[in-house]
Order: sequence, then structure tokens, then C-alpha cells
Amino acid sequence: MGQILLSVRNVTKTFGTLNALENFSVDIDSGAIIGLVGSNGAGKTTLLRLLCGLYRPNQGKVLFLKDGKENNIDQFREVVGVLPESTGLYHRLTAWENIRYYSRLHGVSDSVSWERTLRFSKALSISNDLMRHTRGFSRGMRQKIALIRALAHGPEILLLDEPTAGLDVTSARLVRKLVLQLKEEGGTVIYSTHNLSEAEKVCDRILIMHNGQLRFDGSPANLLIETETSSLEDAYIQLTTDDARIKEKEESEGWFSKQWRQLFTRKTNYSNIKEDE
Amino acid sequence: MLKKSLRSIYIISHKELIDYVRDWRTLIAVVLVPLLIFPAIFFVLPLVLQSELNERQSMPLDIYLESNQNITEFDFLTSKFGDNLLNYTFFELNNDINLNDTKNSMDDIKNSNISSVLRLSYDSNTSIWNYYIIYDSTQESSNEAYQRIRNILSQWEDNMTSERIKNAGLKEDEILDPLQPAESLQGDIATAAEQAGFVFSFIIPLFVSIWTATSGVQPSIDMTAGERERGTLETLLCSPCSRLELLLGKWLAVTCIVAVSIILQLTGLVFAISFLISGSILQPPELSIYSILLFLVAVSVFAIMVVALEMALAMRSRSVKEAGSILGPMMLFFFLPAIFAQFINLESIELFWFAVPAVNVLLAMRELLQNEIHLAHIFVWIFSSLIYAACATWYASRQFLREDLVESIN
Repeated sequence: MGQILLSVRNVTKTFGTLNALENFSVDIDSGAIIGLVGSNGAGKTTLLRLLCGLYRPNQGKVLFLKDGKENNIDQFREVVGVLPESTGLYHRLTAWENIRYYSRLHGVSDSVSWERTLRFSKALSISNDLMRHTRGFSRGMRQKIALIRALAHGPEILLLDEPTAGLDVTSARLVRKLVLQLKEEGGTVIYSTHNLSEAEKVCDRILIMHNGQLRFDGSPANLLIETETSSLEDAYIQLTTDDARIKEKEESEGWFSKQWRQLFTRKTNYSNIKEDE
Repeated sequence: MLKKSLRSIYIISHKELIDYVRDWRTLIAVVLVPLLIFPAIFFVLPLVLQSELNERQSMPLDIYLESNQNITEFDFLTSKFGDNLLNYTFFELNNDINLNDTKNSMDDIKNSNISSVLRLSYDSNTSIWNYYIIYDSTQESSNEAYQRIRNILSQWEDNMTSERIKNAGLKEDEILDPLQPAESLQGDIATAAEQAGFVFSFIIPLFVSIWTATSGVQPSIDMTAGERERGTLETLLCSPCSRLELLLGKWLAVTCIVAVSIILQLTGLVFAISFLISGSILQPPELSIYSILLFLVAVSVFAIMVVALEMALAMRSRSVKEAGSILGPMMLFFFLPAIFAQFINLESIELFWFAVPAVNVLLAMRELLQNEIHLAHIFVWIFSSLIYAACATWYASRQFLREDLVESIN
């Protein structure tokens, strides 16, 4: 394990009445692939957004540690590459222009980012599409370009939110291969996924999240030992026996908007329908 | 640090402009419509109206002429009817019939058998003709017949008046036109340039305010709510640029689009006016360099405020539709002061008007186009406008700090 790069200390993040993260603490070491595993609403995306500084914690601190110093999380954005859940490509720009835009914002010259783009696009078999507008791209192509965009400026750490979602088997394998290659080169990756077998294939360390709490932190092998189970799926189920939260994050809309919407929403009494039938 | 910030702002605005220009609809919204709207209003619309008018005037129409007098009394009228393509049928009226009794003629007009009925009755005691025109104002042909009859009756009346004055041994000019100007407009001491400035002071501020408000709506929505809706904002917020740099980059791009749109619309307007109106009014207003510079300051602070407000409200919205629903009605907040400012008398104006949001800048533009420079007015409108622009920018920057920006309806 390398040095601690990120430190999440006793963080609580709430949205209205919902605690998306509760007193959550974790340290992220450099040079490892850390898998965030959890069901919908577990708090994976909230954690990733807290790490990027997009959300501010209600309690606790998120620190970026560099050269032994505690830095504000805003400085972390300079060294991070992010692949969000929505690929976030501009469809009127070409794939290369999308990549170049973010590299420029990171202060990386076009020649350097082009070199890196070529390397990663060849690894992901998409180099022939770099000069095409992304409008007609398939979900898989968009995902690959978004991944290259996250890598082209040479980040120290990579945050990937469901990087293989929507990809075919071959493309998903290419992405996993690239992530492992990055790790070989000393990179740090935080890899959010629903898929346990994928986490097992790629990650050195797994964080199992459930209802905003950290239920497990360790290697896949340790997970089996600690839970005394024979498969990761059994281990996961054992750790998350309580029901996942049904209540979604409250929508950020005002009282009047909500009342107005209700006014034009017909209330259907299903018991009456059954009786009628 | 500043260099890095300026670089980020440049990169963002450059990308936004490229992204915006690549949409072919931009060509229509920002270039073609602004360039062609005024030539279309000033050239094409009058041409269409004239052609419609000619068509209506060349239409032969059938009417009834009804009177208690013999047809021979109406030589003047009947010859004019022929000249005006009115085909008449004469009916004699009984003396006991009421002129405004429309019962008999109503069906003929409603069924388009005839377009109108002219009833004339002569009172030999007073030597006065009474007339009554029956027509249907909802039918174009009937309306046209009514207009032609009114014109012909007016000519007939003039003719009768002249004859009666002559028969009385009087001079027509002395009776009908006893007061005449020595030479038209002789007493106006305003120069052509001043007159132009006066006219432009009513037109330009109104248009500039409307253009500023409307031109900024679509790009503001596209670059804020559009980004949220398409899910591209989250990635952008993860980049190392600050929220303020992001706001300024986008604001700069919208301002460039608004500026291009205003310049093109102004070009179209000047081009249209210069071909439509000939004569002295077209001379450019004589403006001092201070007036021109202050005019640009006025437009700039107004644009800062308007674009910042539009971006702030659009950024609050989670979809393009939501942003459009908010910004559409908000245009009234710019249009109403713009119209209102046209009616405020600039002479002896109270100072507080120059502190009223939006109205102050419009009044300033009006004053400056008339080459009027009042230091107290300038101080108040610049100071108050800067405060409003700063407030709008502050509000916009607050919206760019919202946590829910990363949430997209998709």
C-alpha cells in the first residue's frame, strides 16, 4: 500500500431528511484500485461527489493529502480524472475536442493530451472515431471517450462511476484491462460498481456500502474470511441484510411546486378497481 | 493565478461559442433573423400590404343607390361610381321610408349579392342632403365599398360647397382656407442631425433593451439548464476551474452572442431606414465622443445585468423546458421598463428616475443619443447600474455554487 492520498473523516451528508452518508470514514491509499460496491441509494455516487468537492459534507472533513500536507479538497480536482455516471459528452464537438477541452482546463498542452489520447484510444479500439462528432456514438463509444477524457490530462487518481455500464462484453474487458494497466503504472483508481464479480476481478480493496454506511473495508479474500462465506455474493448479502432504503433523495423543489404537481395528479384507489373487476 | 483564471475563462467561452455556432439553428437565430427582421418589416410588409390594397381597389363592386330624388340629380355621383368600379342599381325611395331602416337590404349584403347600399334624401326646406350607408364591417368587399362611397360623397360635398360659394359671389380660398402657413417647417430651428438624434432616442434604446433581453435567453438556457439536462455539467464541475471562472466563461460567451446579435439587428435597422426614408432625418446624429463612450457603458452594464440574471435563473432550472417557462415571462421585466421609459419627459426629469433598475439605463441612452450630458444623471445611472449589475452577478455566482447542479433530470 502507498501513502494516504484522500481521507474521509466522520463525514455525514444529508439531503433533506435523508442521510446519504452517516459518520463515514475511509482512507484512500495511492497505487491501488478501490472498489465501491453497493446497491442503488447506498451512497456511492454521493461519496464520489464529496471526493470531487461537488458536495460539501454536513459534518466531518474530506482531505486531500499531498507531500504530507492536508490540502483543501478543491485542489484535488487538479489531479483527478472523473468518469461520471452520465458520460457528459458535448455532442456538437468531436471526440477529440471533448477530450482536449478538459485537458486544456487542466493546463495540459494539446500535444501531450493528443499523445495520451492516441495511446488510450488504441487500447480501447476507438482511435478511428476520434475526429467524429459524438452525436451518433453508441453508449459504449461514449463511455470509452469519457474514460479517455478522464485520463488524457494525466491524473494521479481516477474516479470511475460504473465504467462498464452499458458496455458489451468485449468493451468491458478492454476497460478493465486498461484500468489494471493504469494500476501497474502506479495510478490510483476508485471504481464504483454494482457488479461484485467485476470488483473481484479488478479491485485490490473493496468498500461495501449500504444505506450510507461502510459495512466492509478490505480485500476480496478478507471479505470471504470475515463473513465465513464461500462466495462474494453470499458475503455481500450477509453484510446487507437490512432492507435497502426505499426512500429516494428528496427532490430539490419548493413547497409550492410540489403542491401544484399534486393538484394535477389523479389519486387512484386500487382497492376500488379490484372490487369493480 | 490571475493568468490561470483568465485562461480558464477563455477556454470555457471559446468552447461554448464553438459549441453554439455549430448548431445550424444559431445561424437563423443570431444571424439571419436579426439581419432580415427589419428589412422584412420595412420592405416586404409594405409591399404585401400595398399589393393587397391594389387588389381590393381593383375589385368591381355592386351597390344600390336609393333616393327620393330622380337619378338625373346624381350625374356627379354616378360618373364617380364608374371611375371607382362601383356598379350601381338605382331604386326610388318613398318619402315615408326611414333612411336607417336596414331590413330590406340586410339579406342582400349578408348573401354578398351587393356590397353596400347608399341612401340619399333631399330636404328642399334646408337644401341639405341626408345620407345613410348600409354595409357589413365584417366583410372585406362591403368595407371596401363603404370606403369608396365615403370618398365619393366627400368629393361630391366639396363640389357642392364650391358651387354654392361661387353662386353666393364669394371667393373659395377666403372662405375655406383663411389661415395658411407661410412655408412648412420654416420655424423649426433643430438641425437635421438633432432631429435624427431625437428620433433615434426613441427607437434605439427600446430596441437595444429588447434585443439584449431576447438574444441572451436561448444561449443562456443552452449553456446552463441545457448542460444540466444533457448531464455534461457534472464533468465540467469536476474540472479544476472554479465556479466563478465557469460563470464568467459562460457569461462572456453569451455576451459575445448578444453583442453580435445586437450589431446585426442594428445594421438591419439602419439599412432598412436608410432605404425607406429619404431626406434630412437620415443624417447620423451628431454625438460627442463622450456620448458615444457613455452610450457603450450604458449598453454594457445593462447587458451585464440582463445576461447575469438570465444565466442565474436558467441555472436554477433543471431542464431547458423549465428554464424557458421562467425566462419567457421574465422578459416582461425588461420590456415594460423599456416601453415605460419612452414616455418619461427628459426635460425637467427628476433625478430618482436615473436610479430605477432598467429604466435608468434606457433614459441614459435616450439622453446620450440627444447628445445631452448631465453629470448628475450620469453619476446616478452609472453608480446604480453598477450596483444592480454587481447584485445580478453575485446572484448568478450563488446559483453556480448550488450543490444540486450536478443533478440532472436524465
